[in-house]
Amino acid sequence: MPRLLFLLPVLVLFIGFFIYPFLFTLGTSLTRWRGIGSMQFNGLKNYTRLLADPTFRLAMKNNLIWALAQGFIQVPLAALVAMILLRQPKGWQTLRTVYFLPNVISTVAIAMMWTALYNVQYGFINEVLVKFFKREPINFLGNPDFALGAVIFQAVIYIGYFMIVILAAGMNIPRELYEAAEIDGASVFQQERYITIPMLRGTLVTTVTLAMAYGIRHFEATYLMTQGGPMHSTTTMGIDLYDKMDALRYSDASTEGVLLIIFGSVMIVVIRKIFGKSDPMSEMAQ
Amino acid sequence: MTKKGLILLLTILMMMGTVLPVFAQGAAEATAPAKEIELRWASIWVGADSKAGPVAAIVEEFNAANAGKIKVVIEPQPDYNAYEQKVRTSLAAGIAPADIFTIKLNPTTAEFYNSNLLMDFSKVFTGSWKSSFEAGSVNQSTIGGKLKSLPFETAILPMWYNMDILAKVGVTKVPQTVDEFWSLMDKLKAAGITATSQMTGDTNAWTSMIWFSHFAVSLGGPDVWSKPFTDPAFVQAAEYIKRMIVNYSTADAIGLGAGGSGGHFLAGRTAVFSNGPWYAGRADLAATPFFKNITIAGLPGFGSTSNYMISRIQANICAAASKDAAREAAIVKFLQFLTSPEKVKSIAQPSGAMFAVKTDAKPANHLQVQFTQLANSVAVSAPDFEAAMGAEATKEFTQQLSALALGKITAQEFTKLVALKINQD
Repeated sequence: MPRLLFLLPVLVLFIGFFIYPFLFTLGTSLTRWRGIGSMQFNGLKNYTRLLADPTFRLAMKNNLIWALAQGFIQVPLAALVAMILLRQPKGWQTLRTVYFLPNVISTVAIAMMWTALYNVQYGFINEVLVKFFKREPINFLGNPDFALGAVIFQAVIYIGYFMIVILAAGMNIPRELYEAAEIDGASVFQQERYITIPMLRGTLVTTVTLAMAYGIRHFEATYLMTQGGPMHSTTTMGIDLYDKMDALRYSDASTEGVLLIIFGSVMIVVIRKIFGKSDPMSEMAQ
Repeated sequence: MTKKGLILLLTILMMMGTVLPVFAQGAAEATAPAKEIELRWASIWVGADSKAGPVAAIVEEFNAANAGKIKVVIEPQPDYNAYEQKVRTSLAAGIAPADIFTIKLNPTTAEFYNSNLLMDFSKVFTGSWKSSFEAGSVNQSTIGGKLKSLPFETAILPMWYNMDILAKVGVTKVPQTVDEFWSLMDKLKAAGITATSQMTGDTNAWTSMIWFSHFAVSLGGPDVWSKPFTDPAFVQAAEYIKRMIVNYSTADAIGLGAGGSGGHFLAGRTAVFSNGPWYAGRADLAATPFFKNITIAGLPGFGSTSNYMISRIQANICAAASKDAAREAAIVKFLQFLTSPEKVKSIAQPSGAMFAVKTDAKPANHLQVQFTQLANSVAVSAPDFEAAMGAEATKEFTQQLSALALGKITAQEFTKLVALKINQD
């Protein structure tokens, strides 16, 4: 009983702020409701309509791209930098702070800065392209061929958060292992390959899972930079959902919310299946 | 912890669960003192808004005249997008966002009229109060016989011509015919001057949406919005707007927001711009070297309709319905005060804003004078696309406008794609 009591405050909050809203969203997704007046039961029609909607399908694809980019570009980059810093080169503590700094700056400020950098007429990137590479300026955020890549790029290069997590885990690897490997004649690459990566495997799985979860729920930067455009090319499920709420299509927005949760859950299950025993959550569950 | 302790804890939690919704639901009732009725007004006319000062003065005057009986408290809402979200979510949650609040009335927000949370003014909006309003605006705000919002701030959406730039290519007056218009565009282009500030970004492609509305109304007449969006008038309007973006606008028009579009005009980089009267009161505009040489006018008739103007009701005032008759009476009393011609004049004169209430306000600067003259001189006016079609169709319009400008879709495809959102159940 005392153990349950310790859990009670969190349980109350979890029920109030997740279980209840989720059940409400699930219920609303089965109705016709525009936010005003009574709800009318609509069965699974919202789901069939949404799954046939090309904008929704594009949003789902974009979410998957975001998740993969964050999980398999951002995290490996963070791991690479963390492994270099673990070797404690000169000035590593300063570099650690510098890499982490963007994480304390608001998404809004960063999005505004990148919008300016990408500007086709006055942006620094286009100035470099024109002056040094003699290329035509590119409308990064206005051209559907570039927009998604441009928005993802400005997010994945900020590796500070995951770098710190991996760095912290790496600090706990016993130094003796490296000393022994060095005596055995292992190169730096071999030390990383056979000591650091295996020892960090659990942390890496966790960070990949977290990064992909961030990717799945991505909203802010894209909404600030492109509002999901042009031609819905940068629309994510979060943006599509928000647009539906904006148009008072609450039941459609709820349907998309439920599908977003299902999509995220399936993705997490798949990651855990792929990484199997390395997943610390799996180990704890056993 | 003992069983008694557990029961006590659960009791406290249940009590909190019971009490908290009371605070959440009826803040208006809970905060109202027994004698004085306090009315919360979620006002967008605050901060740097040109109407903030006069509105605050009106509230102060009303409070002084009704001391001890009614007190209006302004709740500042400086971020309009966040405010719109607040209104939507509050109403969906069954709570009025404030005792008095404003909405942009369009086919999407017309849904609010189905809410019992909003006061219906139709029974009290009579006599001299009613006759002081422009009948057209009142009709637009009456849905199914209900008047759940009072039309207040209105606007026309004309073109702004920087005559200093036009003079550089030998043009001294705004184009009166379509040939003169295209000739002006070509002359500016040939001189290396960007003719217009188009944009396809934000949620409504604001300035380009105004241009499109001009083309569509001229081509299809003032009732054009009641036609299917695949009508030839819209297809032709789409062709025109594409031509404007591709040939006569800044290179960053695709994806550009309203800030960027206006910024080009303010910086003197573009010759023609489109926006409402609120832009005329900007200090940064007044500081430009060409401020005195801006001409406000329409476009020549691209179709059979000419001497028209695009207009909209920019803000409608809503009030929370209450079972307390005294509270509703207090709201009406304040709104009658706020919308009296004398008070509206006190807002209109310094700000240059336009209102659905008839006044003899004399605008402060030459641009505002031109706005008033233009509004009074046109034979017919029609709403813009956003006002006529609502939020969802406007967002699709914005998304597909980029595709149209990039040549990814044709004008016919553009209208079909937007029509899908308009016709969506």
